[in-house]
Amino acid sequence: MSAVAESTAAFSAAASRELGEGTNDTPAIAALRSEAVALSSKKAWPDSRKERPWKYHNIATLDLGRYTPGMSASNGAAAGVRSCPVTGEHAAAIVLENSDVIFSEASPDGLDLIAFSALIDGRLQKLVDERLGSAVAAGTSKLTALHYAFLAGGVLVATAPNSEFKEPVRIVRNYSGGGQFAAPHTLIVTGANSRVHVVEECRSDEGDIVVMPAVEVLPGPGSVVRHTVVHRWGTNTKVYTEQRMVSERDSEFVSLQIVAGGGVVKGHLESSLVARGSSSELYGVTLGTGNQHADFFTTQDHVGPDTRSDLLFKSALRGHARSVYYGMTRVGLGARNADANQENRNLLLSDTARADSDPVLEILTSDVIRVSHGATAGPVDEEQLYYLQTRGIPYEAAEALLVRAFAGQVLDRVADEALRDELSAVLDARWDSPE
Amino acid sequence: MSKNTLLEIRDLRANIVGKEILKGLSLTINEGETHAIMGPNGSGKSTLANVLMGNPNYEVTGGEVLLKGQPILGMAADERARAGLFLAFQYPVAIPGVTLVNFLRQALNAKRGVDVPVREFRELLFKQMDILKVDRDFARRYVNDGFSGGEKKRAEMLQMAVLEPTMAVLDETDSGLDIDALRTVAEGVNSLMNPGMGLLLITHYQRLLNYIKPEFIHVLVDGRIVKSGGPELALELEESGYDRYEAAAATA
Repeated sequence: MSAVAESTAAFSAAASRELGEGTNDTPAIAALRSEAVALSSKKAWPDSRKERPWKYHNIATLDLGRYTPGMSASNGAAAGVRSCPVTGEHAAAIVLENSDVIFSEASPDGLDLIAFSALIDGRLQKLVDERLGSAVAAGTSKLTALHYAFLAGGVLVATAPNSEFKEPVRIVRNYSGGGQFAAPHTLIVTGANSRVHVVEECRSDEGDIVVMPAVEVLPGPGSVVRHTVVHRWGTNTKVYTEQRMVSERDSEFVSLQIVAGGGVVKGHLESSLVARGSSSELYGVTLGTGNQHADFFTTQDHVGPDTRSDLLFKSALRGHARSVYYGMTRVGLGARNADANQENRNLLLSDTARADSDPVLEILTSDVIRVSHGATAGPVDEEQLYYLQTRGIPYEAAEALLVRAFAGQVLDRVADEALRDELSAVLDARWDSPE
Repeated sequence: MSKNTLLEIRDLRANIVGKEILKGLSLTINEGETHAIMGPNGSGKSTLANVLMGNPNYEVTGGEVLLKGQPILGMAADERARAGLFLAFQYPVAIPGVTLVNFLRQALNAKRGVDVPVREFRELLFKQMDILKVDRDFARRYVNDGFSGGEKKRAEMLQMAVLEPTMAVLDETDSGLDIDALRTVAEGVNSLMNPGMGLLLITHYQRLLNYIKPEFIHVLVDGRIVKSGGPELALELEESGYDRYEAAAATA
């Protein structure tokens, strides 16, 4: 059958190799790619009936034959953009169109922001060769295997020890053209006691697009890494993210997912708190409309002693939008004095919106400070609505005000005020858009 | 020359969860008048406040309410507010995530039907905050979130001051206030009162009436006004309580 033959061709070992040649793979990346492509054909899709994180979304129905990996930027966008297209304060910025870098700005001292395809510098090449694939292994699933096999648009963020960057590092990823499969990679490696905030903004057009990003965060000892993803995908884009942070001693990680677009936005976010005194904060806000499916599986894995984790995922859903939250807090035998919290809150703004929430605790030591979890789903508070109305605010405006307040409490965790205002504006625009 | 009627309540009947609480209440308030409704617990005071404002949990089963001649029982709470009615709540709800300043601005914009310029709004807000003796940080806090009893009442008065209603209903505004807070809140109310406005105080105790002086006192017992009079009636109630009226209502 021709469809099957085509699918095999588009996702074959030869196609993977060819893509790697086009993106200037280093020998190590090429080796990882060829290992991954073998795994991708061997592994089956996750079974929706058996694998808990896939209970509400059956990826086995995805027909890869309809997609082409590693599509280049169309109509000469790759020719380059001269003036910086990135609005908002930034320490450094890189802009990608499909798999091509169309703009990148020189980074200040102590900060490197560079595409994998531009790794000429021996030091940075060595860093990528050593660390790529160390947090998210190619063999994790068929999705991660596909990711490494067809990786394009990989970006490294690296900081020198003791460096500190007040403004965020910006990565903008735009995808246009239906029928494409994209596998962008973000690798963040920080030096000891450095501080950085990486903000990724992702957009796509209304074409049928599949994206399987991977994010690897490897903070140095005592460093603070903030990572924010703004999902502004088109309504026909399906996104399957694999993100993993592996801590070092006293490192801090703060992750924020803003879902303000996309057809399916699904992700596994894992924080492995292996080193003593390290911490992880995972936050998420979804404003779901239409038929959107936002689905997060989180893992707060306490392995080392004196580790701390917090999690707050909120979604406000209207229309037929749906959110799924499945969260695992694991406290291992060696994780004495662990302090872990996870909260999932859902606002249902229509009779057809739906939220499924399942926070789970797995605790192997009794010597903990706190391990807690909570989940709620329901409409906006009637009393609050009434109170706002008694001051003359019409129902719809009162409801919108309460939704903003609900989402705003997650944004309150963003330390940078300018960025907080920017993210707040993204959410406002999302909520004001008719759908 | 007779004054213009602001609020007219005619034979009002209302239920909550199927139980009749208001059993034919009538009351007329003219421009420039301050009235007080006093009554024991369970007499229907809070129900009256809620029904006037349009709380959807209360069911009106009979009667009419006119605000400046316009029937309001068919209106939603926000329409009533924009028509000039204001209710200061006994227990205002907390709204974490919404700052008082943002809330007030939206409310004022809704009331006026246009976006009030930021500068004009700030001047108005700061002026009223000074009168109510609240500091500027107060407006940046989330609405009623973690407020003390006194702060909640001041926040209610601040809203009233900014929205400038023509008819204000104050539900048990004295409850939970110490004497200094009570005096400040009362001074705020007195400074807002004007010849074109009506004020209805709903209270159990006479205490508030030492600071806000109503010309008309009504005794509410078992869902009806059983006696109306001047300020002397409040003093009589303070001395001898509601027993006499409750006994009369029971045998009526």
